[in-house]
Amino acid sequence: MMIRILSIAIAAVALAAPPAVSQTRRAAAATTHVTFAGETAGREPKTFAPMVGSWLISRDAGRNVLFIDGRVWKRGQPAGGLADKARELYGARNEEFIESIKAFAYYPIAVYKGLDNFENGEISVRFQMVGGTLDRCAGILFNVKPNGDYLTVRFNGTEDNVVLWTFNNGVRKFVKRASETVPLELGTWHTLRISVHGTALQGFLDGKPLLDYTLAEPVSGKIGVWSKTDSMVEFDDFTVTPAAK
Amino acid sequence: MRTLSLRRVVRFAAATALLPAAALAQAKSTRAKSECRVRPSDAWVRKQAEFFDESKHDWTNDSLRTALLAAAGITAPLAMPVNNGVQLVDRPPALGETAGAMTDALKQLAATRGSVWPTKSVVGAAGTHAVYLLAQRDTALGRAALHRMMEAGPAESPAADVAAFEDHMRIVWGRKQIYGTQFRVDDTGRVVLAPMEDSAHADLRREDAGLPPFRLGLCLSASLPSKP
Repeated sequence: MMIRILSIAIAAVALAAPPAVSQTRRAAAATTHVTFAGETAGREPKTFAPMVGSWLISRDAGRNVLFIDGRVWKRGQPAGGLADKARELYGARNEEFIESIKAFAYYPIAVYKGLDNFENGEISVRFQMVGGTLDRCAGILFNVKPNGDYLTVRFNGTEDNVVLWTFNNGVRKFVKRASETVPLELGTWHTLRISVHGTALQGFLDGKPLLDYTLAEPVSGKIGVWSKTDSMVEFDDFTVTPAAK
Repeated sequence: MRTLSLRRVVRFAAATALLPAAALAQAKSTRAKSECRVRPSDAWVRKQAEFFDESKHDWTNDSLRTALLAAAGITAPLAMPVNNGVQLVDRPPALGETAGAMTDALKQLAATRGSVWPTKSVVGAAGTHAVYLLAQRDTALGRAALHRMMEAGPAESPAADVAAFEDHMRIVWGRKQIYGTQFRVDDTGRVVLAPMEDSAHADLRREDAGLPPFRLGLCLSASLPSKP
Protein backbone atom coordinates (compact mmCIF):
# COMPACT_ATOMS: atom_id res chain seq x y z
CA MET A 1 0.00 0.00 0.00
CA MET A 2 2.80 2.36 1.00
CA ILE A 3 4.62 1.54 -2.22
CA ARG A 4 1.47 2.32 -4.20
CA ILE A 5 0.99 5.65 -2.43
CA LEU A 6 4.65 6.44 -3.02
CA SER A 7 4.29 5.56 -6.74
CA ILE A 8 1.25 7.79 -7.06
CA ALA A 9 3.12 10.59 -5.28
CA ILE A 10 6.13 10.19 -7.57
CA ALA A 11 3.84 10.12 -10.62
CA ALA A 12 2.08 13.27 -9.42
CA VAL A 13 5.41 15.03 -8.93
CA ALA A 14 6.56 13.86 -12.36
CA LEU A 15 3.37 15.18 -13.94
CA ALA A 16 3.74 18.47 -12.16
CA ALA A 17 7.39 18.79 -13.11
CA PRO A 18 8.06 21.87 -15.22
CA PRO A 19 9.49 21.51 -18.71
CA ALA A 20 13.18 20.74 -18.59
CA VAL A 21 14.91 24.01 -19.26
CA SER A 22 18.35 24.36 -17.77
CA GLN A 23 20.63 27.33 -17.80
CA THR A 24 24.39 27.01 -17.65
CA ARG A 25 26.39 30.12 -16.89
CA ARG A 26 29.41 30.49 -19.06
CA ALA A 27 32.06 33.13 -19.30
CA ALA A 28 30.20 35.40 -21.69
CA ALA A 29 26.76 33.92 -22.08
CA ALA A 30 23.99 31.86 -20.51
CA THR A 31 23.23 28.68 -22.38
CA THR A 32 19.61 27.62 -22.32
CA HIS A 33 19.06 23.93 -22.93
CA VAL A 34 15.52 22.78 -23.58
CA THR A 35 14.46 19.14 -23.41
CA PHE A 36 10.94 17.80 -23.21
CA ALA A 37 11.39 15.46 -20.27
CA GLY A 38 8.87 17.25 -18.06
CA GLU A 39 6.22 17.56 -20.73
CA THR A 40 3.19 15.37 -21.39
CA ALA A 41 3.18 13.01 -24.35
CA GLY A 42 0.34 13.68 -26.75
CA ARG A 43 0.08 17.36 -25.82
CA GLU A 44 1.49 20.50 -27.38
CA PRO A 45 4.82 21.63 -25.90
CA LYS A 46 4.84 24.19 -23.11
CA THR A 47 8.16 25.69 -24.07
CA PHE A 48 7.30 26.28 -27.74
CA ALA A 49 4.29 27.91 -29.36
CA PRO A 50 3.21 25.84 -32.38
CA MET A 51 2.04 28.41 -34.94
CA VAL A 52 1.71 26.20 -38.01
CA GLY A 53 1.46 22.42 -38.11
CA SER A 54 0.83 19.71 -35.59
CA TRP A 55 3.63 19.87 -33.01
CA LEU A 56 3.16 17.40 -30.20
CA ILE A 57 5.22 15.82 -27.48
CA SER A 58 5.90 12.24 -28.44
CA ARG A 59 7.79 9.30 -26.93
CA ASP A 60 10.76 7.83 -28.72
CA ALA A 61 12.92 5.13 -27.17
CA GLY A 62 11.62 6.03 -23.73
CA ARG A 63 12.35 9.72 -24.13
CA ASN A 64 10.05 12.68 -24.69
CA VAL A 65 10.68 14.52 -27.94
CA LEU A 66 8.99 17.29 -29.91
CA PHE A 67 7.35 15.73 -32.96
CA ILE A 68 6.14 17.53 -36.04
CA ASP A 69 3.53 15.28 -37.57
CA GLY A 70 3.32 16.28 -41.21
CA ARG A 71 0.52 13.83 -41.88
CA VAL A 72 -1.79 16.42 -40.40
CA TRP A 73 -0.38 19.13 -42.67
CA LYS A 74 -2.38 17.70 -45.54
CA ARG A 75 -5.44 19.30 -44.04
CA GLY A 76 -3.71 22.61 -44.79
CA GLN A 77 -4.50 24.36 -41.55
CA PRO A 78 -2.38 26.44 -39.18
CA ALA A 79 -1.97 25.07 -35.66
CA GLY A 80 -4.97 25.24 -33.33
CA GLY A 81 -5.33 28.39 -31.23
CA LEU A 82 -3.14 30.40 -33.58
CA ALA A 83 -4.73 33.72 -32.60
CA ASP A 84 -4.14 33.15 -28.87
CA LYS A 85 -0.55 32.06 -29.44
CA ALA A 86 0.16 35.03 -31.71
CA ARG A 87 -1.32 37.36 -29.11
CA GLU A 88 0.87 35.80 -26.44
CA LEU A 89 3.98 36.28 -28.58
CA TYR A 90 3.32 39.62 -30.20
CA GLY A 91 0.51 41.33 -28.32
CA ALA A 92 -1.22 43.99 -30.39
CA ARG A 93 0.65 43.06 -33.56
CA ASN A 94 -0.74 39.51 -33.56
CA GLU A 95 -3.06 40.05 -36.56
CA GLU A 96 -0.19 41.03 -38.81
CA PHE A 97 1.68 37.91 -37.71
CA ILE A 98 -1.34 35.67 -38.31
CA GLU A 99 -1.95 36.98 -41.83
CA SER A 100 1.63 36.31 -42.82
CA ILE A 101 1.80 32.92 -41.13
CA LYS A 102 -1.37 31.72 -42.85
CA ALA A 103 0.38 32.27 -46.15
CA PHE A 104 3.03 29.83 -44.94
CA ALA A 105 0.71 27.01 -43.88
CA TYR A 106 3.05 24.94 -46.04
CA TYR A 107 5.79 25.37 -43.45
CA PRO A 108 5.17 24.24 -39.86
CA ILE A 109 6.87 26.42 -37.26
CA ALA A 110 7.02 26.38 -33.46
CA VAL A 111 8.36 29.50 -31.73
CA TYR A 112 10.44 29.14 -28.56
CA LYS A 113 8.74 31.03 -25.74
CA GLY A 114 11.79 31.45 -23.51
CA LEU A 115 13.64 34.15 -25.43
CA ASP A 116 12.19 37.38 -26.79
CA ASN A 117 15.10 38.49 -28.87
CA PHE A 118 18.04 36.58 -30.28
CA GLU A 119 20.71 38.71 -31.97
CA ASN A 120 24.07 36.97 -31.66
CA GLY A 121 25.27 33.57 -30.57
CA GLU A 122 24.48 29.95 -31.31
CA ILE A 123 21.33 27.87 -31.66
CA SER A 124 21.37 24.12 -32.04
CA VAL A 125 18.84 21.31 -32.08
CA ARG A 126 19.03 17.56 -32.36
CA PHE A 127 16.68 15.97 -34.86
CA GLN A 128 15.65 12.61 -36.18
CA MET A 129 13.76 12.25 -39.45
CA VAL A 130 11.17 9.50 -39.34
CA GLY A 131 9.10 10.11 -42.46
CA GLY A 132 7.53 12.32 -45.09
CA THR A 133 6.74 11.60 -48.71
CA LEU A 134 7.29 15.11 -50.06
CA ASP A 135 9.80 16.45 -47.54
CA ARG A 136 11.80 15.43 -44.49
CA CYS A 137 12.80 18.79 -43.12
CA ALA A 138 14.32 19.86 -39.81
CA GLY A 139 15.20 23.51 -39.42
CA ILE A 140 16.24 26.20 -37.00
CA LEU A 141 13.93 29.20 -37.11
CA PHE A 142 15.40 32.62 -36.28
CA ASN A 143 14.95 36.34 -36.87
CA VAL A 144 11.19 35.88 -36.42
CA LYS A 145 9.58 39.31 -36.73
CA PRO A 146 6.17 40.46 -35.51
CA ASN A 147 4.99 40.64 -39.14
CA GLY A 148 5.77 36.94 -39.66
CA ASP A 149 9.02 37.38 -41.60
CA TYR A 150 11.78 34.98 -40.64
CA LEU A 151 14.94 33.11 -41.62
CA THR A 152 15.57 29.39 -41.42
CA VAL A 153 18.53 27.08 -41.87
CA ARG A 154 17.21 23.63 -42.53
CA PHE A 155 18.24 20.11 -43.50
CA ASN A 156 16.02 18.31 -46.00
CA GLY A 157 16.32 14.52 -46.12
CA THR A 158 14.73 14.31 -49.57
CA GLU A 159 17.49 16.57 -50.95
CA ASP A 160 20.25 15.65 -48.49
CA ASN A 161 21.28 19.29 -48.07
CA VAL A 162 21.41 22.25 -45.70
CA VAL A 163 19.90 25.46 -47.07
CA LEU A 164 19.26 29.00 -45.81
CA TRP A 165 15.83 30.39 -46.72
CA THR A 166 14.20 33.76 -46.10
CA PHE A 167 10.48 34.38 -45.73
CA ASN A 168 9.52 37.99 -46.38
CA ASN A 169 6.02 39.38 -46.87
CA GLY A 170 4.62 35.95 -47.60
CA VAL A 171 7.30 35.02 -50.13
CA ARG A 172 9.85 32.26 -49.58
CA LYS A 173 13.24 32.80 -51.18
CA PHE A 174 16.21 30.51 -51.52
CA VAL A 175 19.39 32.18 -50.24
CA LYS A 176 22.23 29.70 -50.06
CA ARG A 177 22.80 25.97 -50.30
CA ALA A 178 25.48 24.20 -48.27
CA SER A 179 28.75 23.34 -49.92
CA GLU A 180 28.02 19.60 -50.04
CA THR A 181 25.19 17.11 -49.79
CA VAL A 182 25.04 14.81 -46.77
CA PRO A 183 22.78 11.75 -46.94
CA LEU A 184 21.43 10.98 -43.46
CA GLU A 185 19.66 7.80 -42.48
CA LEU A 186 16.13 8.01 -41.17
CA GLY A 187 15.74 7.05 -37.54
CA THR A 188 19.15 8.41 -36.53
CA TRP A 189 19.82 11.52 -34.48
CA HIS A 190 21.79 14.47 -35.84
CA THR A 191 22.60 17.99 -34.73
CA LEU A 192 21.90 21.14 -36.71
CA ARG A 193 23.55 24.29 -35.42
CA ILE A 194 23.79 27.90 -36.50
CA SER A 195 26.21 30.55 -35.36
CA VAL A 196 25.31 34.24 -35.77
CA HIS A 197 27.74 37.09 -35.18
CA GLY A 198 26.55 40.37 -36.60
CA THR A 199 25.75 39.61 -40.19
CA ALA A 200 27.98 36.54 -40.30
CA LEU A 201 25.98 33.31 -40.39
CA GLN A 202 27.39 29.80 -40.28
CA GLY A 203 25.53 26.51 -40.44
CA PHE A 204 26.79 23.18 -39.10
CA LEU A 205 25.55 19.62 -39.43
CA ASP A 206 26.88 17.19 -36.83
CA GLY A 207 29.64 19.69 -36.07
CA LYS A 208 30.73 20.03 -39.67
CA PRO A 209 30.63 23.59 -41.09
CA LEU A 210 28.58 23.46 -44.30
CA LEU A 211 27.14 26.92 -44.75
CA ASP A 212 28.73 30.34 -44.65
CA TYR A 213 26.80 33.48 -45.51
CA THR A 214 26.79 37.22 -44.88
CA LEU A 215 23.28 38.43 -44.11
CA ALA A 216 21.97 41.73 -45.42
CA GLU A 217 21.41 42.99 -41.88
CA PRO A 218 21.99 41.78 -38.32
CA VAL A 219 19.57 39.29 -36.84
CA SER A 220 16.99 40.37 -34.27
CA GLY A 221 13.88 38.37 -33.34
CA LYS A 222 12.41 35.25 -31.85
CA ILE A 223 13.68 31.75 -32.56
CA GLY A 224 12.29 28.24 -32.81
CA VAL A 225 12.06 25.15 -34.98
CA TRP A 226 10.89 24.79 -38.55
CA SER A 227 9.73 22.07 -40.90
CA LYS A 228 7.99 21.61 -44.23
CA THR A 229 4.78 20.06 -45.60
CA ASP A 230 4.41 16.39 -44.69
CA SER A 231 7.72 15.97 -42.85
CA MET A 232 7.68 13.73 -39.80
CA VAL A 233 10.61 14.78 -37.65
CA GLU A 234 11.48 14.53 -33.97
CA PHE A 235 13.37 17.33 -32.21
CA ASP A 236 15.20 17.35 -28.92
CA ASP A 237 17.89 19.27 -27.01
CA PHE A 238 17.11 22.74 -28.31
CA THR A 239 20.04 24.83 -27.12
CA VAL A 240 20.57 28.56 -27.39
CA THR A 241 23.65 30.45 -26.33
CA PRO A 242 23.26 34.20 -26.87
CA ALA A 243 26.53 36.09 -27.18
CA ALA A 244 27.38 39.66 -26.34
CA LYS A 245 27.19 42.06 -29.31
CA MET B 1 1.80 -61.00 -29.89
CA ARG B 2 3.43 -58.90 -27.30
CA THR B 3 5.51 -57.12 -29.97
CA LEU B 4 2.40 -56.31 -32.01
CA SER B 5 0.55 -54.79 -29.12
CA LEU B 6 3.63 -52.73 -28.30
CA ARG B 7 3.64 -51.47 -31.87
CA ARG B 8 -0.01 -50.57 -31.50
CA VAL B 9 0.74 -48.76 -28.31
CA VAL B 10 3.59 -46.88 -29.94
CA ARG B 11 1.40 -45.99 -32.94
CA PHE B 12 -1.38 -44.81 -30.67
CA ALA B 13 1.05 -42.78 -28.60
CA ALA B 14 2.56 -41.26 -31.72
CA ALA B 15 -0.85 -40.46 -33.12
CA THR B 16 -2.06 -38.81 -29.95
CA ALA B 17 1.22 -36.91 -29.61
CA LEU B 18 1.12 -35.78 -33.21
CA LEU B 19 -2.51 -34.81 -33.25
CA PRO B 20 -2.13 -31.64 -31.19
CA ALA B 21 0.98 -30.74 -33.19
CA ALA B 22 -0.86 -31.17 -36.48
CA ALA B 23 -3.83 -29.22 -35.20
CA LEU B 24 -1.48 -26.51 -34.00
CA ALA B 25 0.26 -26.38 -37.37
CA GLN B 26 -3.10 -26.14 -39.13
CA ALA B 27 -4.25 -23.40 -36.77
CA LYS B 28 -0.96 -21.60 -37.31
CA SER B 29 -1.34 -21.86 -41.06
CA THR B 30 -4.94 -20.60 -40.86
CA ARG B 31 -3.83 -17.71 -38.69
CA ALA B 32 -0.94 -16.93 -41.03
CA LYS B 33 -3.31 -16.90 -43.99
CA SER B 34 -5.67 -14.66 -42.06
CA GLU B 35 -2.83 -12.29 -41.12
CA CYS B 36 -1.75 -12.25 -44.74
CA ARG B 37 -5.19 -11.39 -46.03
CA VAL B 38 -5.91 -8.10 -47.78
CA ARG B 39 -9.39 -6.81 -47.03
CA PRO B 40 -11.21 -4.09 -49.01
CA SER B 41 -12.07 -2.50 -45.67
CA ASP B 42 -8.39 -2.08 -44.69
CA ALA B 43 -7.53 1.61 -44.31
CA TRP B 44 -4.62 1.42 -46.78
CA VAL B 45 -6.81 -0.28 -49.42
CA ARG B 46 -9.51 2.34 -48.95
CA LYS B 47 -6.90 5.10 -49.27
CA GLN B 48 -5.74 3.67 -52.59
CA ALA B 49 -9.35 3.12 -53.74
CA GLU B 50 -10.09 6.76 -53.00
CA PHE B 51 -7.14 7.98 -55.07
CA PHE B 52 -7.85 5.60 -57.95
CA ASP B 53 -11.57 6.35 -58.11
CA GLU B 54 -11.96 7.64 -61.66
CA SER B 55 -15.73 7.84 -61.74
CA LYS B 56 -15.60 11.62 -62.34
CA HIS B 57 -13.51 11.20 -65.49
CA ASP B 58 -11.84 14.52 -64.73
CA TRP B 59 -8.47 14.33 -66.49
CA THR B 60 -7.51 16.64 -69.32
CA ASN B 61 -5.35 14.59 -71.72
CA ASP B 62 -7.22 11.49 -72.75
CA SER B 63 -4.97 10.55 -75.69
CA LEU B 64 -1.83 10.63 -73.54
CA ARG B 65 -3.63 8.58 -70.90
CA THR B 66 -4.63 5.94 -73.47
CA ALA B 67 -1.06 5.76 -74.77
CA LEU B 68 0.36 5.47 -71.25
CA LEU B 69 -1.99 2.67 -70.26
CA ALA B 70 -1.20 0.76 -73.45
CA ALA B 71 2.55 1.22 -72.95
CA ALA B 72 2.33 0.04 -69.35
CA GLY B 73 0.16 -2.91 -70.36
CA ILE B 74 -2.67 -2.05 -67.98
CA THR B 75 -6.36 -1.37 -68.37
CA ALA B 76 -8.63 0.84 -66.30
CA PRO B 77 -10.30 0.50 -63.88
CA LEU B 78 -7.39 -0.92 -61.93
CA ALA B 79 -7.98 -3.74 -59.46
CA MET B 80 -7.63 -2.80 -55.79
CA PRO B 81 -5.22 -2.58 -54.15
CA VAL B 82 -3.19 -1.13 -56.99
CA ASN B 83 0.07 -1.33 -55.06
CA ASN B 84 0.45 -3.85 -52.24
CA GLY B 85 3.95 -2.59 -51.44
CA VAL B 86 5.75 -5.79 -52.37
CA GLN B 87 8.11 -5.81 -55.33
CA LEU B 88 11.20 -7.66 -56.52
CA VAL B 89 13.93 -5.09 -57.25
CA ASP B 90 15.49 -6.97 -60.10
CA ARG B 91 12.22 -8.00 -61.70
CA PRO B 92 10.74 -4.97 -63.49
CA PRO B 93 7.01 -5.10 -64.24
CA ALA B 94 5.79 -6.61 -67.51
CA LEU B 95 4.89 -3.80 -69.89
CA GLY B 96 3.16 -3.29 -73.21
CA GLU B 97 4.78 -3.31 -76.67
CA THR B 98 4.99 0.48 -76.87
CA ALA B 99 6.80 0.79 -73.55
CA GLY B 100 10.16 1.69 -75.15
CA ALA B 101 8.76 4.55 -77.21
CA MET B 102 6.71 5.87 -74.30
CA THR B 103 9.74 5.73 -71.99
CA ASP B 104 11.67 7.88 -74.48
CA ALA B 105 8.75 10.31 -74.70
CA LEU B 106 8.61 10.60 -70.90
CA LYS B 107 12.37 11.18 -70.75
CA GLN B 108 12.02 14.00 -73.23
CA LEU B 109 9.12 15.43 -71.28
CA ALA B 110 11.11 15.28 -68.04
CA ALA B 111 14.03 17.09 -69.68
CA THR B 112 11.84 19.88 -71.01
CA ARG B 113 11.71 22.82 -68.66
CA GLY B 114 8.17 23.90 -67.80
CA SER B 115 6.60 20.83 -69.39
CA VAL B 116 3.35 19.46 -68.00
CA TRP B 117 4.04 16.17 -66.26
CA PRO B 118 1.34 13.48 -66.52
CA THR B 119 -0.20 13.74 -63.07
CA LYS B 120 -3.70 12.76 -61.94
CA SER B 121 -5.44 15.86 -63.24
CA VAL B 122 -3.76 15.37 -66.64
CA VAL B 123 -3.99 11.61 -67.26
CA GLY B 124 -6.14 10.33 -64.40
CA ALA B 125 -5.06 8.10 -61.53
CA ALA B 126 -4.55 5.04 -63.74
CA GLY B 127 -2.36 7.16 -66.02
CA THR B 128 -0.11 8.11 -63.09
CA HIS B 129 0.23 4.43 -62.17
CA ALA B 130 1.26 3.73 -65.77
CA VAL B 131 3.99 6.38 -65.44
CA TYR B 132 5.21 4.70 -62.24
CA LEU B 133 5.44 1.32 -63.99
CA LEU B 134 7.18 2.74 -67.06
CA ALA B 135 9.66 4.87 -65.10
CA GLN B 136 11.14 1.74 -63.54
CA ARG B 137 12.58 0.79 -66.93
CA ASP B 138 15.19 3.49 -66.98
CA THR B 139 17.34 4.88 -64.15
CA ALA B 140 17.64 8.38 -65.62
CA LEU B 141 13.90 8.59 -66.21
CA GLY B 142 13.34 7.10 -62.77
CA ARG B 143 15.22 9.92 -61.07
CA ALA B 144 13.33 12.62 -62.97
CA ALA B 145 9.96 10.91 -62.65
CA LEU B 146 10.36 10.38 -58.91
CA HIS B 147 11.22 14.04 -58.47
CA ARG B 148 8.18 15.11 -60.50
CA MET B 149 5.88 12.70 -58.66
CA MET B 150 7.08 13.89 -55.24
CA GLU B 151 6.84 17.51 -56.28
CA ALA B 152 3.26 17.04 -57.52
CA GLY B 153 2.11 16.02 -54.04
CA PRO B 154 -0.36 13.46 -52.72
CA ALA B 155 -3.38 14.87 -54.57
CA GLU B 156 -1.70 14.39 -57.94
CA SER B 157 0.58 11.36 -57.41
CA PRO B 158 -0.42 8.03 -55.87
CA ALA B 159 1.33 8.03 -52.49
CA ALA B 160 1.83 4.24 -52.42
CA ASP B 161 3.47 4.32 -55.86
CA VAL B 162 5.68 7.26 -54.87
CA ALA B 163 6.79 5.42 -51.72
CA ALA B 164 7.49 2.13 -53.52
CA PHE B 165 9.24 4.03 -56.29
CA GLU B 166 11.46 5.93 -53.87
CA ASP B 167 12.42 2.62 -52.27
CA HIS B 168 13.15 1.17 -55.70
CA MET B 169 15.34 4.09 -56.75
CA ARG B 170 17.18 4.09 -53.42
CA ILE B 171 18.13 0.45 -53.89
CA VAL B 172 19.18 1.17 -57.48
CA TRP B 173 21.38 4.03 -56.18
CA GLY B 174 22.96 1.76 -53.60
CA ARG B 175 21.13 3.27 -50.64
CA LYS B 176 18.80 1.59 -48.19
CA GLN B 177 15.04 1.64 -48.71
CA ILE B 178 12.84 3.38 -46.16
CA TYR B 179 9.35 1.88 -46.60
CA GLY B 180 10.29 -1.79 -46.89
CA THR B 181 8.69 -2.49 -50.28
CA GLN B 182 11.65 -3.94 -52.17
CA PHE B 183 12.66 -7.59 -52.04
CA ARG B 184 15.36 -9.71 -53.59
CA VAL B 185 15.85 -13.41 -54.21
CA ASP B 186 18.98 -14.54 -52.36
CA ASP B 187 21.45 -17.23 -53.43
CA THR B 188 19.41 -19.95 -51.80
CA GLY B 189 16.28 -18.92 -53.69
CA ARG B 190 14.58 -17.27 -50.73
CA VAL B 191 12.74 -13.95 -51.11
CA VAL B 192 14.37 -11.53 -48.68
CA LEU B 193 13.86 -7.87 -47.80
CA ALA B 194 16.38 -5.59 -49.54
CA PRO B 195 18.49 -3.45 -47.13
CA MET B 196 16.35 -1.03 -45.17
CA GLU B 197 16.94 1.82 -42.72
CA ASP B 198 14.84 2.76 -39.69
CA SER B 199 12.43 -0.16 -39.72
CA ALA B 200 11.29 1.05 -36.27
CA HIS B 201 9.23 3.87 -37.84
CA ALA B 202 8.31 1.95 -41.00
CA ASP B 203 4.61 1.67 -40.17
CA LEU B 204 4.35 5.41 -39.60
CA ARG B 205 5.67 6.04 -43.10
CA ARG B 206 3.70 3.18 -44.66
CA GLU B 207 0.41 4.32 -43.15
CA ASP B 208 0.98 7.81 -44.51
CA ALA B 209 1.74 6.41 -47.95
CA GLY B 210 -1.26 4.10 -48.06
CA LEU B 211 0.80 0.92 -47.91
CA PRO B 212 -0.10 -2.16 -45.85
CA PRO B 213 1.43 -2.51 -42.38
CA PHE B 214 5.04 -3.68 -42.52
CA ARG B 215 4.19 -7.08 -41.06
CA LEU B 216 1.53 -7.68 -43.70
CA GLY B 217 3.98 -6.56 -46.39
CA LEU B 218 6.52 -9.12 -45.21
CA CYS B 219 3.79 -11.74 -45.20
CA LEU B 220 2.68 -10.82 -48.73
CA SER B 221 6.27 -11.05 -49.95
CA ALA B 222 5.96 -14.84 -49.62
CA SER B 223 3.77 -14.73 -52.72
CA LEU B 224 6.56 -13.21 -54.83
CA PRO B 225 8.02 -15.63 -57.37
CA SER B 226 11.46 -16.78 -56.28
CA LYS B 227 12.24 -18.08 -59.78
CA PRO B 228 12.29 -16.02 -62.97
